[in-house]
Amino acid sequence: MSVLEQIERAHLLGRGGAAFPTATKWRAVANRSRGNAVIVVNGAEGEPRSQKDRLVMVTKPDLVLDGAFVAARELRANRVILYIGERHTEARAAMLRALNMRPERERRLVTVSHAPARYVAGAEAAAIHFLNDGIATPTNLPPYPFESGVGGAPTLVQNVETLMRVALLARGLPAGGTMVTLAGAVARPGVLEVDPQTTVGEAIVTAGGMSEAPRAILVGGYFGRWLDTQDAWAVPLAHGQGLGCAVIGVLPASRCAICDVAGIMRYLASESSAQCGPCFFGLRALADACTRIAADASKPDDLTRLHRWASEVRGRGACKHPDGAAIFLSSALQVFAREFANHAPHDMRQTA
Amino acid sequence: MSDAILWYTSRGAGAVTLILLSSVVVLGVLGTQRVHSPSWPRFLTTGLHSNLALMTLVFLSLHIVTAVVDPFTNLGWAAAFIPFDSNYRTFWLGLGVVAFELLLAIVATSLVRGFIGRRSWRAIHWLTYAAWPVGVAHGMGTGSDTWSAWMLGITSACVAAVAVAVLLRITSGSRDPLAAPRTSFRAAVDRRPPR
Repeated sequence: MSVLEQIERAHLLGRGGAAFPTATKWRAVANRSRGNAVIVVNGAEGEPRSQKDRLVMVTKPDLVLDGAFVAARELRANRVILYIGERHTEARAAMLRALNMRPERERRLVTVSHAPARYVAGAEAAAIHFLNDGIATPTNLPPYPFESGVGGAPTLVQNVETLMRVALLARGLPAGGTMVTLAGAVARPGVLEVDPQTTVGEAIVTAGGMSEAPRAILVGGYFGRWLDTQDAWAVPLAHGQGLGCAVIGVLPASRCAICDVAGIMRYLASESSAQCGPCFFGLRALADACTRIAADASKPDDLTRLHRWASEVRGRGACKHPDGAAIFLSSALQVFAREFANHAPHDMRQTA
Repeated sequence: MSDAILWYTSRGAGAVTLILLSSVVVLGVLGTQRVHSPSWPRFLTTGLHSNLALMTLVFLSLHIVTAVVDPFTNLGWAAAFIPFDSNYRTFWLGLGVVAFELLLAIVATSLVRGFIGRRSWRAIHWLTYAAWPVGVAHGMGTGSDTWSAWMLGITSACVAAVAVAVLLRITSGSRDPLAAPRTSFRAAVDRRPPR
């Protein structure tokens, strides 16, 4: 059985956040490759709270490279590019050490590239734009990477954890579980590898439980969804079910949800690459309205506007950045409806 | 008697088409300047241009249909679609057909802009600068009312409005409100070696 068939049979989904079926992506590249495909090993990890990609690169660099070279063989690629976040120096060092132990025929395929430390830089199209033109902003699709990626060649951009799973499958082992990053009010924050179908609650218990009383849980990082603690508790940590980038953030009841949501919205607005109006102006307007409510200088219709804009901005961007921010905000408006309606002024220094 | 109604309708619809089309052109030309006010309803800034364009086609169709049906000119349907095919005032009428077909292409491509892509849409939209003067020339050349005071007033007002709008656009340059933030973001993610 070929690796591609094994990947297909294992229903492996991409671990970068979009949970796209890996086999589908590989087949699209394989069908177009004339021995000229390019494999981009995506270790940009621009999601602020995520650490799992760095942990994978630091502890299992040989498996990540294995996966990349399996992909190179399977898709008849003649280039492998390590696209690693420019601030992830430890991860890069570990990957380069592992690379130096590979045979020459593999090493000569590889080049190393430093992904700018910005939120959008890890997006597939931004990675390709960066590798082609040196500018890490998303571009219009199509052409999709499998049609015309790095240097116009069919290109596979794959998250480092996904490639590690591929390497396990290629060795005839099970793909294993899911890497998640636990953040916020948990006793031992950090990265956990959990079995499929482990729930958010079980993972938090494994990490020593919660360090204080929770208010809500953010599943999937800054493009994820807020859930009430009891709703989140039973959510399975499985990709393709809203796990996103697999960051689980526990918001303690002692923190102000509105101020935190406003802070994250300001961050996402500042990470807009300003290529289209819905993203740049839309996210700025959303962040401003959140900030007004947080500062308690809100106009009466700010909340109504937030609801309307959050639904209107979706699907209007040139890339998915505004969609992710709008999903995050819509869930916050739902879960923190009470706080949004009655936010009182308080010391803003509480916001991290 | 009904012939006279057709004739009047055709003349009236032609004049209305000129006014509407000129308004569409003015709105389109100034649209990129993003002239707006918070007190205006949103349709005024974005929807009005396209809605007026659709309305222009309605009056233009009325103008054409009544002209063709009118037995006096004896145009026939072919002359309404094939430029310079009519026996009646071949050249000036032909200009009208050319303008009509250009407008049809411009509106049709706008309706399917999502399918054909922005670049081709924009290229075809530039044809407006051909369609409008050809349409005006058609009106001046064959209009029954061209030299009446009121029609002269309408035509010169339309020409003046479009001229002023184009002049404003040329002199004010592009005002892309995203230009500055886009440049600074690109600079932040630009790792090209300095030249």
